[in-house]
Amino acid sequence: MADSSSAPTAPVAQLLKRRTVWSWLNGQRLIRFFFGSNASITIAVLVLIMFFLLREGSMFFPTYQRELQIYRQAGLEYCDLVNKPLSEHGALLSRLNRAFMAEVALTAGVDVTRRNEALLLSQQLAEQTRHPRLLVEDAIAKPGSPEEIEAARQRLRQASQAAADKLTISSAFSPEEQKTLRAALATIQPDDQTPPAFVQNLVTVAATKDAQARQTHTGFQDAIDVFEEALEPVEELHDSMKEIALAIKAEAVQLHMAEDAIAMLRTAAAAAKTPEERDRLNQEAAATSTQAIDFTARVQPLKEKLPEYEKLIAEYVPKIQSAAAQLPKEAQSKPAVAQLKQFRVDFEKHLQHVRQSIEQMRGWDSAKPVPLTQALVAFVFGGDWITNSTWQDFYGVVPLFTGSLLISLTALLLAVPFSVAAAIYTNQIASPWEQEIIKPVIEFIQAIPSVVFGFIGISVVGDGLREISDLPFLQWIPGFPIAERLNMFNAGCLLALMAVPTMFSLAEDALQNVPQAYAEASESLGASKMQTIFRVIIPAALSGIFAAILLGFGRIVGETMVVLLVAGNRIAIPDFSDGVGVVFQPAHTLTGIIAQELGEVSRGSSHWQALFMVGILLFAISLGINFGARQIVKRFKIASA
Amino acid sequence: MSPLQETSKESTRLGACLTSIQHCMISRNLSLILSIAGLSLLGLSSLSAQTTIRVRGSDTLGAKLVPQWAEGFKNAGHGVGFDVGAEGSSTAFTNLAAGTADIGMSSRKVKEDESTYCKTKGKFLKEINVAWDLIAIVVNKNNPVQGLNKKQVQGIFSGKIKDWSEVGGTPGAISIYTRNTSSGTYKDFMSMAMNNKDYAPSSQKMAGNEQIAAEVGKNPAGIGYVGLAYDKAPGLKVIPVEGAIPSAATIHTYPYSRPTFFYVAGEPEGEVKAFIDYVLSPAGDEITRKVGFIPIADSK
Repeated sequence: MADSSSAPTAPVAQLLKRRTVWSWLNGQRLIRFFFGSNASITIAVLVLIMFFLLREGSMFFPTYQRELQIYRQAGLEYCDLVNKPLSEHGALLSRLNRAFMAEVALTAGVDVTRRNEALLLSQQLAEQTRHPRLLVEDAIAKPGSPEEIEAARQRLRQASQAAADKLTISSAFSPEEQKTLRAALATIQPDDQTPPAFVQNLVTVAATKDAQARQTHTGFQDAIDVFEEALEPVEELHDSMKEIALAIKAEAVQLHMAEDAIAMLRTAAAAAKTPEERDRLNQEAAATSTQAIDFTARVQPLKEKLPEYEKLIAEYVPKIQSAAAQLPKEAQSKPAVAQLKQFRVDFEKHLQHVRQSIEQMRGWDSAKPVPLTQALVAFVFGGDWITNSTWQDFYGVVPLFTGSLLISLTALLLAVPFSVAAAIYTNQIASPWEQEIIKPVIEFIQAIPSVVFGFIGISVVGDGLREISDLPFLQWIPGFPIAERLNMFNAGCLLALMAVPTMFSLAEDALQNVPQAYAEASESLGASKMQTIFRVIIPAALSGIFAAILLGFGRIVGETMVVLLVAGNRIAIPDFSDGVGVVFQPAHTLTGIIAQELGEVSRGSSHWQALFMVGILLFAISLGINFGARQIVKRFKIASA
Repeated sequence: MSPLQETSKESTRLGACLTSIQHCMISRNLSLILSIAGLSLLGLSSLSAQTTIRVRGSDTLGAKLVPQWAEGFKNAGHGVGFDVGAEGSSTAFTNLAAGTADIGMSSRKVKEDESTYCKTKGKFLKEINVAWDLIAIVVNKNNPVQGLNKKQVQGIFSGKIKDWSEVGGTPGAISIYTRNTSSGTYKDFMSMAMNNKDYAPSSQKMAGNEQIAAEVGKNPAGIGYVGLAYDKAPGLKVIPVEGAIPSAATIHTYPYSRPTFFYVAGEPEGEVKAFIDYVLSPAGDEITRKVGFIPIADSK
């Protein structure tokens, strides 16, 4: 054996025989540990992220519970019992005003519209002739010689005439009136004190007609005034109650911050660099008081206002009932009829709620404890997300969740047909050179940054959608014409575009992985190409297609930048009265609210924790979607032949 | 020899070759590398000698006015760099407390709990009034409404008045555009114009003055509020409130005028003090007027 010629001597043999780490750790094992450690680091990072999220957000429910406790103990809840009838009164007043203005517009509407149009046209003209106008103003201000000023004025007159001839005037003006109006607008100079005679005439006629119309409806106007004034004493009482409640709340919050503040100031003093700083900080710490507050005693003045409130309500109800009785029985204009009808329905409810409010206030107890579950329910099912309020912050995710859900569903409904159909076409029907073009182009969309999509949404898609919605032959679509150009549908379109590459690639891979034997067997049994595709291949690839859709959905739900820029940022539950047209309204999302508000919350405050809780909710949703995806994939999987 | 021993011999030979090549290259290029390194270190050190003033806070001040002041300051011969971040007035105080800002710009006064928070971090804030701003109420230029009173403004923004016909415009729902919660303008407007009532839930929260101007300009039923410097955007019309148009002349009669501030931790010194002095000087006043704010000198 060749080995024996270079056989090691006895001591070296001992060395070599000993199993050291370095002999055990050969190349194979090193590679295994390398890949294994990468996987475990990824899992460890995921666990760390979950840990940090939970650490920041988990203290939210006790904090919110304490805030709701103070809300009750300091009497803010008591004041809000009065708030409900007040806001209902405001809504009723709004309806009455709208009905009144519709009635006035019936008689005076035409003249008011003509006056408004004339004023708007003169504004437009002023904008279009801005440069000559400025020259005239400069000539007057310098002051130039009379010839210079007159020359500048002449140039302005020429420019105004040219612009006036190009103005579009509606049919509210007859052709001769249009000519007179154009000529009148062309004579306006920047230092004119009054508008030209024609326009002034329109203004006067409109004012007279308006006064006349109001005169005819004095009864209506008086009824509205009585209705409005009936609330004033109640509002004053409410404001005084709110002041007391806010003062108690401020003290409660100070007290709670006091202990933390003292501890922080004392540690800062201990670490202070100069004696003056240390003294200053110690002084601040000593000045903070930590006396406990007796809430029941402090809330007593509020409760003592209840008899006054009852008395005021006893006067308020007959006043508004008499005002309602004085309203015209038959209105003439259609909007007024609709508003008054709705008013009567809401009025009865309002009276009921007013009576209920008194009972609720009688039964209110400031010392009733707020359980932790109430904080949980208020977060998950609360319909108000109000932050940075001077009154009370509410953290309810329903508006945000609805926004996210509607946007995601819209995007999914738009993306799924396009991506699945594209995948089927590319994989089964397209010729090889078509495949070469389609696949890379669709996958290129993935490379576009989401901020660019947001920008396209603001500048192009929003205006485009609004123009399409103004087309007369499309008015049957619910929600048209669109009022806001930044809305949920806009965001949904862009998110669909972003999700299509993901869904397309995965669906196409799923179709590709169907064994060739299936297609061959089907064709050998005499099926046509279309039958093979729709009866054999797609059902076989269904699990993969579902997985693709769900992964695309996960991507859509988590997208932040596009929804922040494009969805309109209205933090309210959308109005479902339009049916499907609800998607053309603006909304806010779970992801967008975190991005928008995290910049300014102070660390550790309840707002900070609420935002982390929203993050945990998003995390849970993503986990749920992924889990559901895996279950569905398992269920639909056909065992490979 | 076993294959392993053969391989290790080969590798030692290869290693020896490589080391000798490396030695050659190093000895030839060492001087070059060392000189480049030395020069770049010198360059870096000279760069780091230039101070950077970090300014954080209000979008109203930080979008146009503070960058213009910075330019003017640099052109006046001071060799400092500026790092301006405008995410909203509340971020001024969080950054000052964390020490990541030298100057905090704010379009509102500091709140009690914010100054306490800064104190606990050892930063005692000094407030300097640098300019006056007027908040203009803007509507779309095709809106026929010619003026509003304070009660109507409060009603519109708090959601009590829901329709344009109630204030004399063409019937239609009002679209309200406001700033978002990190904005000082948002809070100032609440206290000046709305009597501390909350905004309507149907209001849409935009990130800055420019966005509000863009949306109101494109939406015929839109209304919003912007700082005076942004009211000339295309498509906007400024509404007189109680008969007063916001301008330098009406600073004391227009109801929504407010002072804007710089906040510094402790007494300002060095370049920061020079910058603040420049801002309050006549040269700074010129720039303030040009951008559309009101300098302190004019507000007396």
